[in-house]
Amino acid sequence: MTTKEKIICVGCPMGCRVTLTISNREVMAVDGNKCKQGEKYVLEEYHNPVRILTTTLLTQGSSQRLLPVRTAKPIPKAKMMSAVRILAKVRVKPPIKIGEVVAAKPSGIEVDVMATADLLS
Amino acid sequence: MDGRTSPKRDIWSPVPKKKGVKAYMLKTEVLIIGGGALGTAIARGLSRYKVKAILVEKDVDFGWGSTKANMSIVCQGADSLEFRKEYHRTRLVQESIPMMESLCSELDVPFKRIGELAVFFNDEGRAKYEKMKARAESVGITTHQFIDRDALRNMEPNIAKGAIGALYDPNIAVTDPVRLTIALAENARQNGVELITGTEVKAIAKGTDGFEVKTSQGIISTEFIVNAAGTSVDKVAAMVNADDFVVYPVRGYVAVLDKKVADLVNHEVHARLEAPGENNIITPTVHGNLFIGTPMKLAKRGEHITTKEMERVTLSNGRRLVPDISEKDIINSFTGFLMFRNWELGWHECVVRPSRNVPRFINVSIGYPGVSAAPATAKEVVRLLSQEGLKLQEKPDFNAYRKAIADFSELSDEEKQELVASDSRYGHVVCRCETVTEGEIVEAIRRGATTLDGVKFRTRAGMGRCQSGFCLPRVVGILSRELGIPPKDITKKGHESRQLLFESKELIEGRR
Amino acid sequence: MKLRDVDVAVIGAGPAGLAAAIKAKEAGASNVIVMERTEQMGGLLHQCVHNGFGLFYFNEDLTGPEYAHRFIEKAIDTGVKALLETMVTEISPDREIKAVSREAGFITFKPKAIVLAMGCREKTRGALGIPGTRPAGIFTAGTAQRLVNIEGYVPGRRVVILGSGDIGMIMARRLTLEGAKVEAVVEILPYTGGLIRNEVQCLHDFDISPLLKHTVTQIHGEQRIEAVTIAQVDESKRPVAGTERIIQCDTLLLSVGLIPENELSLMAGVKIDPITAGPIVDEMRQTSIPGIFAGGNVVHVHDLVDNVSWESELAGQSAARFASGVKAVEGKVRLRAGKNIRYIVPQTISGQSEVTLYMRVSEMEENVHLQIGDILSRGLRVVKPSEMLKIELSSEHLKRIKEGTTEIIINCEKRRRKQ
Repeated sequence: MTTKEKIICVGCPMGCRVTLTISNREVMAVDGNKCKQGEKYVLEEYHNPVRILTTTLLTQGSSQRLLPVRTAKPIPKAKMMSAVRILAKVRVKPPIKIGEVVAAKPSGIEVDVMATADLLS
Repeated sequence: MDGRTSPKRDIWSPVPKKKGVKAYMLKTEVLIIGGGALGTAIARGLSRYKVKAILVEKDVDFGWGSTKANMSIVCQGADSLEFRKEYHRTRLVQESIPMMESLCSELDVPFKRIGELAVFFNDEGRAKYEKMKARAESVGITTHQFIDRDALRNMEPNIAKGAIGALYDPNIAVTDPVRLTIALAENARQNGVELITGTEVKAIAKGTDGFEVKTSQGIISTEFIVNAAGTSVDKVAAMVNADDFVVYPVRGYVAVLDKKVADLVNHEVHARLEAPGENNIITPTVHGNLFIGTPMKLAKRGEHITTKEMERVTLSNGRRLVPDISEKDIINSFTGFLMFRNWELGWHECVVRPSRNVPRFINVSIGYPGVSAAPATAKEVVRLLSQEGLKLQEKPDFNAYRKAIADFSELSDEEKQELVASDSRYGHVVCRCETVTEGEIVEAIRRGATTLDGVKFRTRAGMGRCQSGFCLPRVVGILSRELGIPPKDITKKGHESRQLLFESKELIEGRR
Repeated sequence: MKLRDVDVAVIGAGPAGLAAAIKAKEAGASNVIVMERTEQMGGLLHQCVHNGFGLFYFNEDLTGPEYAHRFIEKAIDTGVKALLETMVTEISPDREIKAVSREAGFITFKPKAIVLAMGCREKTRGALGIPGTRPAGIFTAGTAQRLVNIEGYVPGRRVVILGSGDIGMIMARRLTLEGAKVEAVVEILPYTGGLIRNEVQCLHDFDISPLLKHTVTQIHGEQRIEAVTIAQVDESKRPVAGTERIIQCDTLLLSVGLIPENELSLMAGVKIDPITAGPIVDEMRQTSIPGIFAGGNVVHVHDLVDNVSWESELAGQSAARFASGVKAVEGKVRLRAGKNIRYIVPQTISGQSEVTLYMRVSEMEENVHLQIGDILSRGLRVVKPSEMLKIELSSEHLKRIKEGTTEIIINCEKRRRKQ
């Protein structure tokens, strides 16, 4: 049985609406993309959609209330909400430098979480 | 005497009640209900005398009813076609004309004499204004003069080409109605009147030596009542069967234009269109914006909403006077109510008199122009109270003067330098659109502002073209710091109008 | 550094101001200052915790704070001096600056050159005239972003967002990640107003379907917002009677337009382009007043901070040259917006140096032909008002400008099908 899956390619402003024909979880055909990079993108997006997660962490002992952070690598799209719930419990203390790992591969996230700004005091 | 307007709750003395429930009680000679322009003017008028007086206002700040929707024009009164010289309203309005400037000067409130042009487009229009001029002259107002097409164009280069002349009244001025109200309140307090906000009158009972007034904060025993409750004036009067008048809620709409188009008009400009009361007014404000006002209409009481139709009519009428007005220059709009008596029958008469049914209960409802008529109305009410039996003994130490919060944006370079040197908080600009500094905001809070709107009306922070987009987080921070309460508890206008509902992570952690 | 010795004064230390100041130093100006009203350099980048910045300028995918950090470090390294918590209140046509700060008090001085880099502000409920009551709980998207990402508050839990521009879509994702429910994203046009990447990663990722061709027609709630009425709109963007429905909410975010902040520019007497609402500038970003330059969102609202940086570098470089006495080449050729072109920046070019043109179309169109006079022609697959076009004019292109040309018209038309 074949099914169709629609994915918008965000590789360029064109935003081609690409249709994948799927059979047994395998991609049989890709239609609607206007370039090769687009095909590559939608295949990756179908098999394993991932996103860089950016958010903030609450601080302790700092005049700055929040520290902006990002995951060092993209994480599965489906795990974004559970990831922010996990990170909501994390507290960070100064001094922290931009780029520092503030949470090393937390369970449930499995990638490092890095500071994207200094937290000096 | 620091002009604070909101005393803390502990002025109420606890009175043990039957079922062990504590009630709070106050006793006074005169209770003024309503803290708008009229109520506070009356409070200030009474504060000249050795009279114990309390004013209660249901909102958390002064002037938030009809006053804040006022078009800010004062020294009016002779400018209506339906001017009836025998009306009480006419006398009050007329007597107020020479009083307003000195009042604003005593209270350090902005006042600008801009003059008014009642514009006409044909001979029929001119004839109407000739009638108006004659009526004004019959009560001694002789300042009106007709000006021709060329003179009009000199005074107002942007006026519509079809305008053939205007009736000019150089007397008309503009002020800041809410700042005036707050100033009256501060001065009344300076001189001994107790003013309590956030207190709504719920019931009034006639007692042996006066009235027992049940409020949301406690009971007030009083000998005399002045009912200046604005849009609730009839409701309050009805509480004790003192409602020997009927008033109708009438709603208007004002569009605020950006200061950068202030040059479009130099005077208050209006044209009477068809029906009585139909007024299309464009006026510079005392702060440099333009207001465009639209004809008022009967509406559902309490329905404080603006509609697209109001905006459309206002702009369309405005353009008939000044074609270059554009909706692109609107930065805000607001609506407000007035209470009119004979809306159906034509012009209206005010109610400023003791109730026929209930002695020592004075009803005060001007309708239009309320702020303009406040000075003489205050004097009149004091006279009526005396007539009703209130003993008036003048206070030798009455202080008519009250100083305003420094307006940084209006100061000269030298004055700015001095002010910042004396208090560095005046060097920290918080509202960039109106150039309002932290020093002014802190002073506003010291004088009684507890909400974002309270700070806004005292300092103009949030009234500029970005409409508090930049300063909101900062003003919340300053209010929180000065009042010692968490930012989450800061409200826009009191009661349930908190702006920040949750702290970071409360929701996502599932704590709320 | 004494104020009287300032060569270049840059107003604003956001991405535009920092890029201009750094370049001014690199171009040889000795004394360069940035005047910033908040407590730190970096401007609005600090509250943009999401990524997507620097893809072109650095070839990296950075967050806002990371992009800011690079420029702040460079500014400090190159010797740019920062006057923080300093608000410029006046600029006169002869370049006199008046400013006020807690520390310095009231200051006034005249630098040799000025760069305007004040950025932009958001369109408000008041300006839109959305009917209804005036309750708490209504914020522009940028203000909400500051509250969420810097102050540490989530304004509400049931949010309606009016406008699907980038900032609206970004906040839809941000609020969802902070535990709020985005009840609706309401868009008046038949398509979303921002980058396609944001539509996918901020809306689709979170199962938010934008309500296209809809608008908010009324706000309800006396103390705090309780609901909005939304309605479908017709081709003239007017609400269609009978299509109204109520969406309950406790927060309304407005992402309905950005306006360059030109109060100071107007005071200085700089000529403003009525379409961009920013100063008319030449290719070196000089305004109509010699010695006053401008770059970034104050000139026209950008989509990408990368372009803000590049554009502002031009302004900074020119300001440094002007401060050292070098006269700029006059922009003799006026660029005019033709079919489906809303505006072009710069508005004038000299025709003698390579230049990058930035422009926006008025309406979305597919398969178009962009024609710049008769010097350049390019086919584009799709053009959208929300995606700025960037066209480089090389010396080859410039050679084609005929002697004596005073005006070049730029058109964007649907390509005719080949037979």
